[in-house]
Amino acid sequence: MDKKLIHWAFFILLFSLILLAVSAFSFLIGSSHIPLNKIIPLILKGKGTIEYSILFDIRLPRILLGLAVGGALSIAGVILQGMFRNPLVEPYTLGISGGAALLVSLNISLGLNQRFGLISLPASGFLGAIVVILVVYALSVKKGILKIQGLLLTGVMISFISSSLIMLIMAISKAEDLHGIVFWIMGSLEEPNPLLIKLMLLISIFGLIISYLFCFDLNALLLGEEEALHLGTNIERTKKSLFILASILTGFSVGIAGIIGFVGLLVPHLMRMIVGSDHRILLISAFLSGAAFLILCDTLARTIIAPLELPVGVITGIVGGGLFIYALTKKEPLII
Amino acid sequence: MFFRYLTIHHKVNAKFKMQKSKLFFLILSVLCFNTTVFSQEGSKRIISLSPALTEEIYLLGIEDKLVGCTIYCKRPPSAQKKEKVGNVVEVNVEKIISLRPDLVLATELTDPKDIEKLKALGISVINFPTPRNFSEICEGFLRLARIVRREQKAKEIVEEANKEIETIKEMVKDLPKPKVFVQIGARPLFTVTKDSFIHNLIELAGGINIASSAKTGLYSRENVIRKDPDVIIIASMGITGKKEKKHWEAYKTLKAVKGERIYFIDASEVCSPTPLSFVEALKEIVELIHPEIKKDG
Repeated sequence: MDKKLIHWAFFILLFSLILLAVSAFSFLIGSSHIPLNKIIPLILKGKGTIEYSILFDIRLPRILLGLAVGGALSIAGVILQGMFRNPLVEPYTLGISGGAALLVSLNISLGLNQRFGLISLPASGFLGAIVVILVVYALSVKKGILKIQGLLLTGVMISFISSSLIMLIMAISKAEDLHGIVFWIMGSLEEPNPLLIKLMLLISIFGLIISYLFCFDLNALLLGEEEALHLGTNIERTKKSLFILASILTGFSVGIAGIIGFVGLLVPHLMRMIVGSDHRILLISAFLSGAAFLILCDTLARTIIAPLELPVGVITGIVGGGLFIYALTKKEPLII
Repeated sequence: MFFRYLTIHHKVNAKFKMQKSKLFFLILSVLCFNTTVFSQEGSKRIISLSPALTEEIYLLGIEDKLVGCTIYCKRPPSAQKKEKVGNVVEVNVEKIISLRPDLVLATELTDPKDIEKLKALGISVINFPTPRNFSEICEGFLRLARIVRREQKAKEIVEEANKEIETIKEMVKDLPKPKVFVQIGARPLFTVTKDSFIHNLIELAGGINIASSAKTGLYSRENVIRKDPDVIIIASMGITGKKEKKHWEAYKTLKAVKGERIYFIDASEVCSPTPLSFVEALKEIVELIHPEIKKDG
C-alpha cells in the first residue's frame, strides 16, 4: 500500500512539474520576442509597459483558460469512458458540442451577437449544451433507470442532426457570418472577458473535487454495473450524477472555448496507459496532464507560423493523434 | 463602448439619404474632437486589418503612420514591407500590442473576440463595415480620412472618382443593357446579389445582374441557363477560372457562349475596393460589357 502511495505521489509531482514547465514555457514564448533576462525585472516593476501587458493581459489569460478547459475536458473524458466502459467515448460524443455549435451558429446568423454583445456567444453555446443534455437524458431514462447504451446512441444521433442543421445554417447565411461560425467551431483559447476565464477555472477545479466523491464508484463500475451493485454502489444515482457532472464540465468548456477536439479522448487514454485505471490517481493525473497538453498545443498554435495563429484544434489533432498512435503501437491493447 | 455606439449609428445611417449622413458626420466630427483618443494631429501609429483600408491609407498619403497590416495587403507593393499582424480574419493580438498602435482599423471579418481584447487593453479599434456599393465605399473612406485628419485629400479623391463615374454613366446611358452573370465561386456555384458592390459595378457599367434578387450568393446552374445571360464574368485566378470557362462552353445554347462573351477579372483587384480601385474596376467591366464603346473611340 505504501509503495502505491509513493508511486502516486511521484506521478502527481511529475505531472504538476510538467504543467508548471509548460505554463512557464508558454508564458515566455510568443510572437513578440521578450528577452529572457528582462522577464524578471519586468514582472517585478514593469507595470504599465507594453511588455508587461503582453505577459499578463495576453499570455497569462490564455494559459489559465487552457488549464481550465484542458483539465475539464480531460476529467469529463475519464468519467465518461469509465462510466460507459467504452474507449471511443469522449466528451463530444454525447452531442453536447453539436448542440452548443448549433445554437452559436444560429446566434451568429441571426445577428444576435451584434445586438446583445459578445457575451451572448458563450451564453448560447452553454444553452445549446444544456438543451442537448436534457434531451439526451430524458430520452435515455426509462422507468427511473439510465440506459447507458441508449444514452450513447441518442447522443451520437443528436450530434449528426446538429451538424446537418449547422450545415443548413451555413448554406443560407451571409459570407460575413460564415467565417464567424467556422472560427467558433474551430475553437480558440482567446477570451477577452476575464470573468469567464475565472468562472471556467472555478468550474474546472470544482469538477475535479466533485469527481473524487465518485472515484470508488467509478472503480466499481469498471467491473460492470451488476458487479458494482453487488459492491454496494448506488448505480442509478452514480450514473446520473456523473453524467450531469461531465455534461456541465463539457458544456462550459464548449461554451467558452468552442470545440477543441481530441483532448477529452486522448488524455484519459494516455493517462490510463501510464498510471493505470485506478480512478483515484487517474482523475488528478488526467486533469494535470490535460491542462499541460492544451497549454502546450495553444503555445504551438500561436507561435508556429507567427504572426498568423492556427486554430488550437489543428495542433491538438495532429500532435495528439500522432502521440496516440505511437502509444498504441508500443503498449498492450487498451483495457478500460 | 463609444466606438461600438458609433458603428451602430453608422450602419443605421447608411440607409438614410445624403442630407442626414452629412448631419451625422458633423456630429461625428464634433464627438471626435471631444475625445482624448484623437489628438489634433490624429493617430500616430495605425494598424490596418484589411487590404482595402491599407490601400486607402496609402491613398491618403499617411503610410508613414501605418505600423502594421495583414499578409494580404499587397497593394501598393510597398505595403508588403510593413510588419504583418495576421491575415484578415485571424490576427495576432500579441503582435499588435507589441507594435504599440494607438488606432486599429478593423472590418466585419475581424474576430470580435480580438477586437474586444484590444479595446480592453486601451487601444481604440474602429470597425469598418463591408461596403455594399460605391457610396458606402466613399462613406467609409471619408470616415477613415476624418479619423486620421486627411479630409481635404479624401474629398478630392472622392470627387475625382465621382466625376469619372458620372462620365461612364453618361457613356453607357443609351446603350442596350446586356444580362450579366458574375461568378465568384465554382464549387458550389457562387454569385453576387444586390448586397455586393460588384452588383453595383455591373449596374453602373450598364449591365443587368441576373442574380440581383437572389437571397444568398448560392446559385444553381439551371437558373443561369434559364435566365440566359449575354455575358458571364468569372472573378477568379488561374486554372480554376479556365476550367470554369470550359464548363460553361459545354452549354452551347447560352448567349454568352454563342457570342464568346465569357470573361475573367482579377479577383484580388475587385475584392478590396477603395474609391479609386472601384473606378478602375468599373472601367474594366465597362470594356467587357460594352466592347462597342472602345470601337467607337
